[in-house]
Amino acid sequence: MDKITVEVIKSSTSYIAEEMGIILRNTAYSPNIKDRLDFSCAILSSNGELIAQAEHIPVHLGSMAIGVKNTVDYLKKESIEIEKDDVIIVNDPYIAGTHLNDITLLKPIFYNDEIIGYVANKAHHVDVGGYAPGSISSNVKELYHEGLIIPPSKLVINGKLNKELLNLITSNVRVPKSTIGDLKAQIASLNIGVERILKLIEKYGDREVTEAWNKSLDYSEEYLKSKIRDINCICEAVDYLEYKDKLININMKIEIKNGKIKVDFTGTHRQLDAPLNAVYGVTVASTSFALKAVIDPDLPMNHGIFRVLNIIAPEETIVNPKKPAPVSVGNVETSQRIVDVIFKALYHEFPDRVPAASNGSMNNVIIGGRGWAFYETIGGGFGGRNGKDGVDGVHANMTNTLNTPIEVIENEYPIMILEYSLREDSGGAGKYRGGLGIRRVYKMLSDCMLSIIADRIKISPWGVNNGYSGACGEHYVIKDGKKIPLSGKDTLYLSCGDIVEINTPGGGGYGSPYERDINLILEDVKDEKISIKSAYRDYKVKIIKKDDDFVVDMEETKKLRGL
Amino acid sequence: MVMGYRVGIDIGGTFTDLVYFDEYSKEFHVVKVPTTPKSPDVGAINAIETAKIEFDKINILIHATTLGTNMFLGQEHLNPPKIALITTKGFKDVIEIGRQRRPKLYDLFFEKPKPLIKRRDRYEVEERIDANGNIITPLNEEELQKIAEIIKKKDYEVVVISFLHSYKNPIHEKKAREIIKNLCSNVDVITSYEINPEYKEYERTSTTVINAYLKPLVSNYLKNFIDSLKNKGFNGKFYVMQSSGGISNIKYATERPAAFIESGPAAGAIAVAYFSKILNDNKVIGFDMGGTTAKASTIINNSPLVTNEYEVGGEVHAGRLIKGSGYPVRFPFIDLAEVSAGGGTIAWVDEGNALRVGPISAGADPGPVCYGKGNDKPTITDANLILGRLGEKLSGGLLKLRKDLAEKAISKLAEKIGESVEEIAYGIIRLANTTMAKALRIVTVERGYDPRDFVMYVFGGAGPLHGVELAEEMEISSILIPPSCGVFSALGLLLADCRVDKAKSILKDIDEVDEEEIENIFIELIEEGLKEVEGFEEIKIVKQIDVRYKGQSYELTIPWTGDLKELADNFHKKHETVYKFSSLEEDIELVNARVTIIGLLTKPEIKCYEVKEYKPKPESYRKVYFSSGWEETAIYNRDKLKPGAIFEGPAVVEEYDSTIVIPPDYTAFVDKYGCLRIER
Repeated sequence: MDKITVEVIKSSTSYIAEEMGIILRNTAYSPNIKDRLDFSCAILSSNGELIAQAEHIPVHLGSMAIGVKNTVDYLKKESIEIEKDDVIIVNDPYIAGTHLNDITLLKPIFYNDEIIGYVANKAHHVDVGGYAPGSISSNVKELYHEGLIIPPSKLVINGKLNKELLNLITSNVRVPKSTIGDLKAQIASLNIGVERILKLIEKYGDREVTEAWNKSLDYSEEYLKSKIRDINCICEAVDYLEYKDKLININMKIEIKNGKIKVDFTGTHRQLDAPLNAVYGVTVASTSFALKAVIDPDLPMNHGIFRVLNIIAPEETIVNPKKPAPVSVGNVETSQRIVDVIFKALYHEFPDRVPAASNGSMNNVIIGGRGWAFYETIGGGFGGRNGKDGVDGVHANMTNTLNTPIEVIENEYPIMILEYSLREDSGGAGKYRGGLGIRRVYKMLSDCMLSIIADRIKISPWGVNNGYSGACGEHYVIKDGKKIPLSGKDTLYLSCGDIVEINTPGGGGYGSPYERDINLILEDVKDEKISIKSAYRDYKVKIIKKDDDFVVDMEETKKLRGL
Repeated sequence: MVMGYRVGIDIGGTFTDLVYFDEYSKEFHVVKVPTTPKSPDVGAINAIETAKIEFDKINILIHATTLGTNMFLGQEHLNPPKIALITTKGFKDVIEIGRQRRPKLYDLFFEKPKPLIKRRDRYEVEERIDANGNIITPLNEEELQKIAEIIKKKDYEVVVISFLHSYKNPIHEKKAREIIKNLCSNVDVITSYEINPEYKEYERTSTTVINAYLKPLVSNYLKNFIDSLKNKGFNGKFYVMQSSGGISNIKYATERPAAFIESGPAAGAIAVAYFSKILNDNKVIGFDMGGTTAKASTIINNSPLVTNEYEVGGEVHAGRLIKGSGYPVRFPFIDLAEVSAGGGTIAWVDEGNALRVGPISAGADPGPVCYGKGNDKPTITDANLILGRLGEKLSGGLLKLRKDLAEKAISKLAEKIGESVEEIAYGIIRLANTTMAKALRIVTVERGYDPRDFVMYVFGGAGPLHGVELAEEMEISSILIPPSCGVFSALGLLLADCRVDKAKSILKDIDEVDEEEIENIFIELIEEGLKEVEGFEEIKIVKQIDVRYKGQSYELTIPWTGDLKELADNFHKKHETVYKFSSLEEDIELVNARVTIIGLLTKPEIKCYEVKEYKPKPESYRKVYFSSGWEETAIYNRDKLKPGAIFEGPAVVEEYDSTIVIPPDYTAFVDKYGCLRIER
């Protein structure tokens, strides 16, 4: 088969995954999917190898590949025969690869009575039962507390919905309407995927399609190898998550040699009786993301790159826990830290390509009352980069969801937003400063329960190349006039009138602040992104206010900078 | 009306297209001249003079321009005004944080769009309206007075006021404007409730800021242009094409410049809609491919699909805008799918030795390799030339294409990949077509339609080279090439009506409102809108409501018939059609009321000719490469094909500024309007 046809089939397959995403989004019920795009769609080979994926959330990236393979293996082991027009449902994180809220659906592609591949999707469901509204809480000790566990089961049998299973699921969730609507959307998405693949086969032939798929894996493998061919390095780093009074270490050693990449998490903290554990699928996803971002953002994301990767994550650690360790926060926070620790290590080999640490948390805010539940994540500062400041007020690493407009929140929930702004001086000082964190202040208009899941409150996002750390997150409840600090993982009851203040971390700085262009500092002072005080203390630049404007005291600055 | 000319001028990035209708002879004519980017009106006047039209005989002149877009592309000579923004206390950064999403997942060096107003130019004032329109905190007028003094002192040209929930209760915005205006009488003050009285604060503020950003530039430009026209004797009516596909008079065009950011492609969609009506095609995809991008509109029952939100300067992925990559503008825009593929798109070999097409473009300068202006990277145009689909002369002979240069450039790729030159050239076309077809398919599906049900109208400088193969990829069996397909977009300027769109948020459950309340909202919007369509004899009013299931965030726009039950029933039905499910027991929420007021213009008629079937004689033959290999292919001159001409592929039809490729197994037929219909 000629090379152009291979490319055409590759491209067509990618667009089919994209189209599955469109159908899922169009037909989905809940805002998590429609607005926040918290889902992914994929096409996999008969072995469960990832061929193409339309992703919107990086944490789904590697986990989809692992999840499907685990599911196929499970079905074989349990002697469950998968038939044409069956749909398998699974959310067990130890099989599907993320956390219970992410429900994966899988459908075989049958051609001439043979499975030639699978289509799959994964979508975040607003609630799957468990202790807390939204099924995410820092106060649980076992997976069973987090929600309903669905092992690989047939949601659709021979094209017909399995009502018994559906009723079991909807009987265990808080918003059954959403669940039903979104599951139907996932099924519709799979159906279109199968239909389109069969059309592709009709046009090019089944042998040609599978051959092109295999060639696309070979291509990715070779592409990645060519990118690392001249690299020979061993880099190590350790970074931390925070839990109660403890720091939870993630150790990482990466070895790139002879066209292979070995990532070893040996030495990482043992698994916890707390939901900070990240299942192996999340670890793979985070590792894949970090490597793609640093080595080549255009690296195709399919199974081919996993042939080059060897990821060692010892069992019963927080990067590869054993059931029934709880995992909901691992998906959202530990994934962030895995990326950070890999960046930290890779900085030694790629100092021009790796930024300082970004805010490093999804900054999850979950508020629920009688009959309502609100969930959002808040961005922060991006790490300073070689040649560029970090971006202010964005999501970083493993998340990229949209915020919820203030006027939407206030129209739909008993919450009033008092402030939404950038945090002055929260960006780590540097030749290229870290991005600023965000301040978001909520006033409760009814009694409710607050869960906060955040990090980088004790350990700040690190700077690199003599850059300073970004500011830590600071979160408070203001109750009866008292400002009470919150830890990063807290759940508490609030009364009407209480105020919650979330200050997300800034990004670390890149390069010495003493080398930052004085004009850039003046601009940032004028924009109140850097204060006069910080300009003096951190950057050694004296700026004074004069006639309602800011000017540099160049004489004093030269003294300060020793020029 | 005294007989004369109707003139449409479409100023694109490279060429300025003029289409005029001679009311004496009842014929259309076209002229193409280079665009003069620094003073686009100069190019426009050049076009009129080149067409030998007497200025005092122009009855109507309708204008489309990319001037607004060029400002966001950072063109050097376009200087933004000095703008201040006043927001509710605590919220001045909403305009900068946006939706907190980074446009590129894996790019560690990504950039968000730069805030159009620097933080130092954003001011906050104590005030608060809640979601029900109640005043929580009265406007702090003393504080505002101080801000007004700063504004005066710092010589701001424009002030934007955007308070939370002003769509619900604009009283604070009104008062703030009054206070600013009292002290700074020469400052233009623009309020968000006036520009976009819809909820969602970031998008409302962004829309208002972009209007403020564009207003001085566009006002000056239009004023200068009209003055130049008048100095040459023009005394007719002047209109501007909006992104919605409607035209607007000069007064309201200057008030809402953001409304015509995408006016060129909008005109193209209007032309498609017009032809779909006279040809009785109920579902049409209009495909326009130029030098750098391909765009497609969807026309259902002779009306283009319209979206109410767009991102200026945004990037595209798989045919759709990437949310967060541009600046949101909430005005009606004809809903366009877009792909970074055009004649100038560059083909290359990646580090894995795979052939890639795009997204980088050589544009029109230096342009494709075969233009001989110094580019050595092969483009789609070069591939079409190698395959024999393009002849060696272009645009009526204005440009000669250098096949030797194209061959040399493509052979470099061929050596790397290990295939022949023609295989690589064909590969470039196949990859480009696959990408475009798949993206267009996805966008059509996203809007709830099946592409197989559509006819595809193909136009633009590069569109007809690709249209038939594209349609085949999309399983569309009928393709139509309209007359003057290279400048077809400009024709749409002459076929448009005056259009005003007004919207207002309701945000109430259907059970909470009564029909009288809804009618009153519409009466208010209609009164506002009618002021902008003065002077039209015939007026059409369309009333619609954005409806959704409670808890959902997506709305469907449903016609308002005056009956709430009917509204609900129609919503359930449409939801079933678009989203494959409906929930009859679910609560329904009314989100926005929308009015479209159309001032109908008498339009020039496309001439209808007698059809006599005949087999035309080719001008010549040459070898052209198709999926079946090199084929001896008949070459026709479009101008010589009369209605009734019927012939089979393989064929190439050449005309003034476009080339139509008809593969083997297709039949082409010229209809009574001079359209070329191509079917299998």
